[in-house]
Amino acid sequence: MGKIELFEPGLAERLFTEREKPWRQKLRQEMSVQQRLKIPRHKMPEQPPQQRIRNFLEVNLGYSLEMAKKEAQRCLDCGNPGCVAGCPVAIDIPTFIKYIEAGELEKALDKIRQTNGLPAICGRVCPQEIQCEKNCNLVKAGREPVAIGHLERFVADYLSSPPLLSIRPERVNSGREKIAVVGSGPAGLTVAADLARLGYQVTVFEALNIPGGVLAYGIPEFRLPRQILRSEINFIKSLGVEIKTNFIVGKTASLSDLRNLGYLAFFLGTGAGLPSFMNIPGENLLGVYSANEYLTRVNLMKAFRFPDFDTPAPLGRKVAVIGGGNVAMDAVRTTLRLGAEEAVIYYRRSRAEMPARAEEIKHAEEEGVIFHFLTVPVRYSGGEKGRLKSMVLRRLALGEPDASGRPRPIPLPGSEFEVEVDLAVVAIGQSPNPLLIKQLEGLKLGRWGKVEVDQKTMSSSLPGVYAGGDSVRGGATVILAMGDGRRAARAIDKFLRKC
Amino acid sequence: MNKVVLGERLVPNIFHLIIEAPEIAASARPGQFVMIIPDEHGERLPLNIADWDKNRGTIEVVFMNLGVSTRKLANFQTGEFLEGVAGPLGQAAEIGQFGHVLLVGGCFGLAGLYPLARQLKERGNRVIFLAEARDQAYLYWESRIKKVVDEFLTLFRTDCFGSGESLAEMILNLKNKKPELSRVIVMGCSYLLFTVSEITRNTGLKTMVNLNPIMVDGTGLCGACRVTVNGKTYFACVNGPEFDGHGVDWEEYFNRRRAFLSQEELALANLEKKVSESQE
Repeated sequence: MGKIELFEPGLAERLFTEREKPWRQKLRQEMSVQQRLKIPRHKMPEQPPQQRIRNFLEVNLGYSLEMAKKEAQRCLDCGNPGCVAGCPVAIDIPTFIKYIEAGELEKALDKIRQTNGLPAICGRVCPQEIQCEKNCNLVKAGREPVAIGHLERFVADYLSSPPLLSIRPERVNSGREKIAVVGSGPAGLTVAADLARLGYQVTVFEALNIPGGVLAYGIPEFRLPRQILRSEINFIKSLGVEIKTNFIVGKTASLSDLRNLGYLAFFLGTGAGLPSFMNIPGENLLGVYSANEYLTRVNLMKAFRFPDFDTPAPLGRKVAVIGGGNVAMDAVRTTLRLGAEEAVIYYRRSRAEMPARAEEIKHAEEEGVIFHFLTVPVRYSGGEKGRLKSMVLRRLALGEPDASGRPRPIPLPGSEFEVEVDLAVVAIGQSPNPLLIKQLEGLKLGRWGKVEVDQKTMSSSLPGVYAGGDSVRGGATVILAMGDGRRAARAIDKFLRKC
Repeated sequence: MNKVVLGERLVPNIFHLIIEAPEIAASARPGQFVMIIPDEHGERLPLNIADWDKNRGTIEVVFMNLGVSTRKLANFQTGEFLEGVAGPLGQAAEIGQFGHVLLVGGCFGLAGLYPLARQLKERGNRVIFLAEARDQAYLYWESRIKKVVDEFLTLFRTDCFGSGESLAEMILNLKNKKPELSRVIVMGCSYLLFTVSEITRNTGLKTMVNLNPIMVDGTGLCGACRVTVNGKTYFACVNGPEFDGHGVDWEEYFNRRRAFLSQEELALANLEKKVSESQE
């Protein structure tokens, strides 16, 4: 349980106490382990591929109550829940699942919300297969893991106007201490929610016109409908958090301006908003876009509803998306929905190394995306008026593992080939947005301009300044960002108590 | 939401808004811009900050009515609310002690250069302002600018076809008459930026241009505003918008500005249809 203790002291003990409650003991006895093992995992109902590539509605349709209860019965409620240790925010997974089995959905949601402010989002975008579900003890028994993500999503959606229940400020008297959170992405929202619950006055400053950070500009609606994001954000506002949009800390006001306004602690959740390009010839041709631009146009500015919305999206007939992560999958699937005839992923390693969530790869394949592995573009060529016409790619082979532990791609000489393409989206990663962090004197930055922090407290080299999410990690997941937010919130609370 | 304190037409195709934005007014510097979102369905439109008033908490912008967003903005009346204004964005223009400085402005650039002129003057520079316009009827803020500059010159395009001086003649004559002239700063339409850069190329006159590429977020997130300057790619929103005009890859710049031309026409036609429907 050492790993669990890292998130929250006393967590293992609390898990045990919950498990020993009479209702849980009774529920465990209602069905035998053998019976539970016989229930197959419930597949997520989906929009059929040929229908969904013509709309921006959510692909996954969600469990029914009956399916959810039945899926919950698959959980053995084991004494050593590996799932919790696999969750970056240490949700008490067995308890919330057992509440579903018992039909106590409000209690299930309340249990999740104690450690996760954004369950409807995490249920949709977390890579469960490498976190909670990977550690599910059913896997050891040769079964598919409990569909923890689908259940989390179900609970959050089923109770769309969430009651607050036990979520009450714990330190009501400390309402005077002001905390500034920079960025309203998953890290910022989590730190804000946690600190608001502790009774602090929290203001979140968001540079863009809509809150949510990468959840608003990066993740498409067919994966995360915007009313879900809005309702999660409204929940966080209901805790007393103020969100100021169109406010660019570092431009609209500096961090020291905010200090002068009485903010005592700061959290930098400024994200990885600096797109990487490959610096190859022709990259500035019309038709070559960063995934950030492509997705921001479509998601934040709603270009998929152009011309009803004013922002246009680039349209491509033959589309190449460079990269193998979630951002690449989001971009390539978006191009199909905007009318691409052919949408191809070019990834420099093989299928096994693709960092995207398993479900996104599966969905992309079903929708007709073509995957070309072990290839990398070397240059783009333009035609009339500087428009992209073709690209030259090179084949690669996998060599020895590099610093990241993944096999290093090695170029194969003489393997170049040219393909016709009129839209290329570069989704090879991003680094921390330097706008604010580069202007903070004394803030220690590491490789790729990532903010250096103490892993336990998320404190930076500047006193009272904390950081987390992609500004520290450079391009990770929603849930890891949220884990950072949780740890930072606890450390900020400690820091302010000492003041 | 930001309140429009004043919305007015300055000349036939150029409009002026004074907007409540106290935080931006408190931090704005010459050469910076704001992102304006006209309404819920609007784009993020970058516009130069033409002036600001810390005490009143207002900023000013001036723009040409050209596309769907500027058409929407041009219709804003005093007392109405914009969906959002974010800024100030970009690097401030370099304001040093240059000696003699020539500011060349056209279109919305007359207003955009106004705060530069004022601050250059305050720093002890001798400021010559050359306003380029179609004709007298398209010239605005003349008296306002004259108050902060040493010399105010005009060049009307109608003159070019008659016996008047051309832009190149004017600039080169100025350079010959004033050896202390060390810097030219240009703001306005892309063609003006390019033309002035070509005129001063190989003359030893440092020429800074205020680029106006397509942008989306304006904070370095997306890279829509990539420009190549002296062989290197920059994001105009965070590294600029002021760049060395002699280093700009103009062909790429002109091409990239046209990226969405057909869609922009479609959006404008759509807006006009909506407007005519609502009037019926």
